[in-house]
Amino acid sequence: MEASVAAGEDAFIVELDRFHGPLDLLLHLIREQDIDIFDIPIARITEQFLRAIEGVERLGLDRAGDFLEMAAMLIRIKVRMLLPRRGDEEEEAEDPRAELVRRLLEYEHFREIAQHLEAAERDRLRHAGRGYVPPRPEPAAADAELELVWEDVWAAVLAFAERTRPPAEHRVTPRLVPIEEKIALILDTLAQFARIELHRLVAPYGDRLHTVVTLMASLELARRRALAIRQSEPFAAVWLYRRNGIAANAEGDADR
Amino acid sequence: MQKATQIVEALLFASDAPLTAADLARADASLDEDVVEAAVRALRIEYERTGRAFDVYELAGGYQILTRPEFEPYLERFATVPRPARLSAAALEVLAIIAYRQPIGRAEIEEIRGVGSAGVLRTLQDRALIDAVGRAEALGRPLLYGTTDRFLEHFGFRSLEDLPRPENLPVVLREPAAPEVDAAPPEADAAPDAGAAPAADAAADAAGPSEADAVPADASGAPPAS
Repeated sequence: MEASVAAGEDAFIVELDRFHGPLDLLLHLIREQDIDIFDIPIARITEQFLRAIEGVERLGLDRAGDFLEMAAMLIRIKVRMLLPRRGDEEEEAEDPRAELVRRLLEYEHFREIAQHLEAAERDRLRHAGRGYVPPRPEPAAADAELELVWEDVWAAVLAFAERTRPPAEHRVTPRLVPIEEKIALILDTLAQFARIELHRLVAPYGDRLHTVVTLMASLELARRRALAIRQSEPFAAVWLYRRNGIAANAEGDADR
Repeated sequence: MQKATQIVEALLFASDAPLTAADLARADASLDEDVVEAAVRALRIEYERTGRAFDVYELAGGYQILTRPEFEPYLERFATVPRPARLSAAALEVLAIIAYRQPIGRAEIEEIRGVGSAGVLRTLQDRALIDAVGRAEALGRPLLYGTTDRFLEHFGFRSLEDLPRPENLPVVLREPAAPEVDAAPPEADAAPDAGAAPAADAAADAAGPSEADAVPADASGAPPAS
């Protein structure tokens, strides 16, 4: 819903986009025209507000809803203002605008504080502490990329999988090996050691399925950039390297 | 310089975040909080006397060595990475509300702003400027938010006391009145004792937002360098 359109009828949306919400827009209308906030000419303001939010639906449902809700409130107030006052019934009948005025003032109050915060932030940013000049990049493993072709890895894994097969007396019924288990195993290991030979992670199991799943877990973690895989030459040992400063669940920070 | 002062200096020099007097006192048996505070005062006087480009500032209840503001242009030119992103106007609004009304839930924040604020809250929480501090008794036990030490650091506040006091803002919750001026501007004597946070004056400068713009307050107890 970023309305970055330059001109034409969409220019209007850009205009509306300037406002952080209906209260912001309403305050703008009131302050711009030097209107006494305690005596808002509700009919005029309502009309201006409605004109300003024409085409608001293009801001997206959520944001449009906020503006439309305010529009409804304004119209409701306008209607109540038009209704004849039944004098005797409620002597102290509250001005229908009172609640709106309270909200506008409260919002304006916080908007002002926000401006103070902005000034404080600006001042703080004029000071620099240690770390302002970024630290030198970590050498070696941290930068290592997965530079192997799949076949190399595969061949190496198969080689030591064969090598380590135990003298199988009897076969146990195969059970599923969840990849999460292997991911956890690798992460736990790398939490303790900066690097580990893949072989050492699978040898204790002596089972091809474990080997395959551990390899898949390694590749998955490499894809998440949680570790780096290195092999000095084809058929050599495969090493898993911890990547510095990378959290295990480095996935999914889509939100800004 | 005395040894205690040097120990405190070493720690402050090596730290990229504020350290409290209690933190610093843990470094050596010869230190306690009073000694640390005296050491910080000594350092500030020393830095001012010798014209250092940095000073010890009070932030989030602790101390941190930061460069003086007049060196910002050089540092900015030198930086090879983008500066930390300033907060959006919406984020500042939400922070303002939380800072003054904490603990506060999302529904009340949205009521005050008149707009949905879930995304902003998440962003602020990701940046550790706010945190969930509890749950309301209300239906659904909604989360309540409060500001963090990171918030104080980000804005250069020593504590929440540094926030502009509502009575110093143009009063908007009652009859609109002329902006009130703080009776005794804390800026009056920026003597050695002023361990003023960088933005303390921005807070003290509460006469009105326009003034805050006009005077990019930077005195904060810094000597008239150059």
